[in-house]
Amino acid sequence: MSPLPVGLLCAALLAGSVALSNPFAIAACAAAAGALLWASPPPRAMYVWFAATSALLVFLVNPFVSVQGLTPIWSGPQIPLLDTEITQEELVFGVAAGLRLIGSAMAVAAFVRLADGDRVLAALARVAPRSAMIAALASRLLPTLEQDATGLAMASRSRAAQLHRRRPAAALAAPLVGLSLERSLMLAEAMEARGYGGAARTHTPQPGLNSPERVLTAIGIITCAVVAAAIPLDDYRYYDLLGDPFTAVGLATAVLVGLAGAAGAVTVRWPRRAR
Amino acid sequence: MSHALRMHDVRYRYPDAARPALDGVSLDVEQGELVLVLGESGSGKSTLLRAALGLVPSFHGGELAGRVVSEGLDTREHSPAQVARHVGLVFQDPESQLVMRRADHEVAFGLENLGCDPREILPRAEQALTAVAAGHLAERETGKLSGGEQQRVAIASVLAMGQSTLLLDEPTSQLDPIAAEELLALVTRINRDRGITVVLAEHRTSRIFAEADRVVVMEAGRIVFDGSPAEAAAHLAGSAPWLLPPVTQAFVAAHRPELPLTVRDARRLAAPAPPDRRELPAAATVVGLTSVTKRYGEIAALRGATTALRAGTVTALVGPNGAGKSTLARIATGLEPPDAGRIEGDGMRGYVSQNPAHHAVRERVDDEVAYALENLGVAAPERARRVAAELARFGLEELAGRHPRDLSSGERQRLAIASVTVMRPQLLVLDEPTRGMDGLRKLALAELVGRLAGDGCGVVVVTHDIDFAAEAAEAVTTMARGRVLADGCSVDLLAQGGFFACQVGLALGCATIAEAGALLREETERAGV
Repeated sequence: MSPLPVGLLCAALLAGSVALSNPFAIAACAAAAGALLWASPPPRAMYVWFAATSALLVFLVNPFVSVQGLTPIWSGPQIPLLDTEITQEELVFGVAAGLRLIGSAMAVAAFVRLADGDRVLAALARVAPRSAMIAALASRLLPTLEQDATGLAMASRSRAAQLHRRRPAAALAAPLVGLSLERSLMLAEAMEARGYGGAARTHTPQPGLNSPERVLTAIGIITCAVVAAAIPLDDYRYYDLLGDPFTAVGLATAVLVGLAGAAGAVTVRWPRRAR
Repeated sequence: MSHALRMHDVRYRYPDAARPALDGVSLDVEQGELVLVLGESGSGKSTLLRAALGLVPSFHGGELAGRVVSEGLDTREHSPAQVARHVGLVFQDPESQLVMRRADHEVAFGLENLGCDPREILPRAEQALTAVAAGHLAERETGKLSGGEQQRVAIASVLAMGQSTLLLDEPTSQLDPIAAEELLALVTRINRDRGITVVLAEHRTSRIFAEADRVVVMEAGRIVFDGSPAEAAAHLAGSAPWLLPPVTQAFVAAHRPELPLTVRDARRLAAPAPPDRRELPAAATVVGLTSVTKRYGEIAALRGATTALRAGTVTALVGPNGAGKSTLARIATGLEPPDAGRIEGDGMRGYVSQNPAHHAVRERVDDEVAYALENLGVAAPERARRVAAELARFGLEELAGRHPRDLSSGERQRLAIASVTVMRPQLLVLDEPTRGMDGLRKLALAELVGRLAGDGCGVVVVTHDIDFAAEAAEAVTTMARGRVLADGCSVDLLAQGGFFACQVGLALGCATIAEAGALLREETERAGV
């Protein structure tokens, strides 16, 4: 899909995940980003796994590094550098922080999976040609890196390596980096052989937006407006005592963002079903 | 006639290299010529092509002496990007040269670099794709194309740029026989119909040798021969027959004075062997697969494949790209589970990847061979003994202290095999072992797998190289669309019938060059010549 409509919606969800404070609104951003990622083409599992494990880590660590909140629910032994008095506020803040992370990661993942990489590169090349070359190298290297990682793992398993253990698996990192460097050199050479870096480049004309992309653009603009309007009005507080999350602004934002996510997911699936 | 390429006394050494990659190369290529460059791996073929575009020394560094003028542009005064406006280079590995995600954007990439009028970019890209019979691939993702399709897109990318000289570095090394033939036919057509100069470095010469206007032979960075295909055949017959097409090699082996370059010429000179149905000798089954299925998402890689892999036998697994050969090989070696079906056999099994670099995870050659034994928990003294024995068996003992990445391609291949055979597997699978390998190394590999089978190991060679399969294997399993089509001996399937046929099989009904040579000798003796 064109990067513009996907970018608008994902940017709104990313901004909402980071800047909104009401837990329902943050959860709605995460759910909307998740719906958008669900509607995007595979692979998706690794993005979900990364977002979920990172969020869980943040949720688990937050109560032990935060020293705020007035509603204790458990006190443990004194351990240097750690706060072992767990408060209700710390737990709720941890949940919200985890949801922020999930929303941000999934919004970025949805953009990566949905936006046409070639059109992103073309747009980037107009404003920063050198960065576009690096991005082109990176975007081509990711799939080849994945193939090399699979090949290395398979060749090692064929030699009785127990890759479910951490040390043998970690030992493959250095050869994988070596292979990726070789690959990047080959790709850079191929780009130079095709005249990259020569005379002033021109750009392939990009096609206009199709119907689903126009609908998604509208959804993206509305979501951006909703989030932009909600950020200054949403003043939910986690510390010292939890505020009331059932505010009109918070609930309205959550409902609108949730609807935008659902509509976005349906719109994204629309052209794929049509094909 | 004007020259597309002029090289005068070119000497080039890669940074930190012990010897020059090009050593006094002088070569003139006229406009519209099709020049075939032959030579063993490391003889300087790829470097010669890179020098023609100015990538050496511009991209790789090192020292260049002499003069290279491509399409009138001196590479010392013009950057590769400038030379690329007139000269296109298609690399060996299509996967590593594709920049964009979609095929038509890939073709457009070069046009954008040329500063082409934006309104012309997509029409020219589509024309180029159509010209290489790849118009239907325009909107496909380049990463999901087969090797043959990727190589077509790569050639279209160069054609679209309207260059008048095309340099091709082993473009068929990853293609199945049909895709390789189609590609070489395409290259010939581009040269004949459009007058584009083609300089082609290639190991699989059976189809292109006779089509070339000139054959250039390289050795240790020098051009040791430059002449017509017929003259080249006469020259190579005495010095390096393995560089010749297999059918020519058979006549060389029979000491016949005539040196046909094509199947048709060979048939005019000799009658094929009479039909000879052979049975494979009885052998135990190492691994049996029954009705095995495997899917990757929406793609059915195996659809009920059934076969028995034999002990003490070299079996070639052949079939077109996407037939399911590698999937079958990985399932047979236990590296992947099947979705359904039965696998029988429980001995040690080894798999050698098509990329030897995937077997290079240690800093030293001897450590690399020891890696599998360490994983198996073999005690240190026994490990040292077996590593030493394996290094000696593969002729790697003098390289024991070297880094695996510093080895030549042939040495890397031998190390990859040694790093698996040190486990003494009952079944050894080699996945595309001849990729980018020259004729001499293929002969050495055929001999090596024969020795492993002689020691009782069941060896399966997954390959696109039908001439190598016929040369190395006694048994053949052919596959297509996820199914096993036939199991039999190589003479039946690769020489006297079957879908795929080796060149000496097509011409003389024999599976190997040695058999064909013997047949021709008998014929000569009978005729009293």
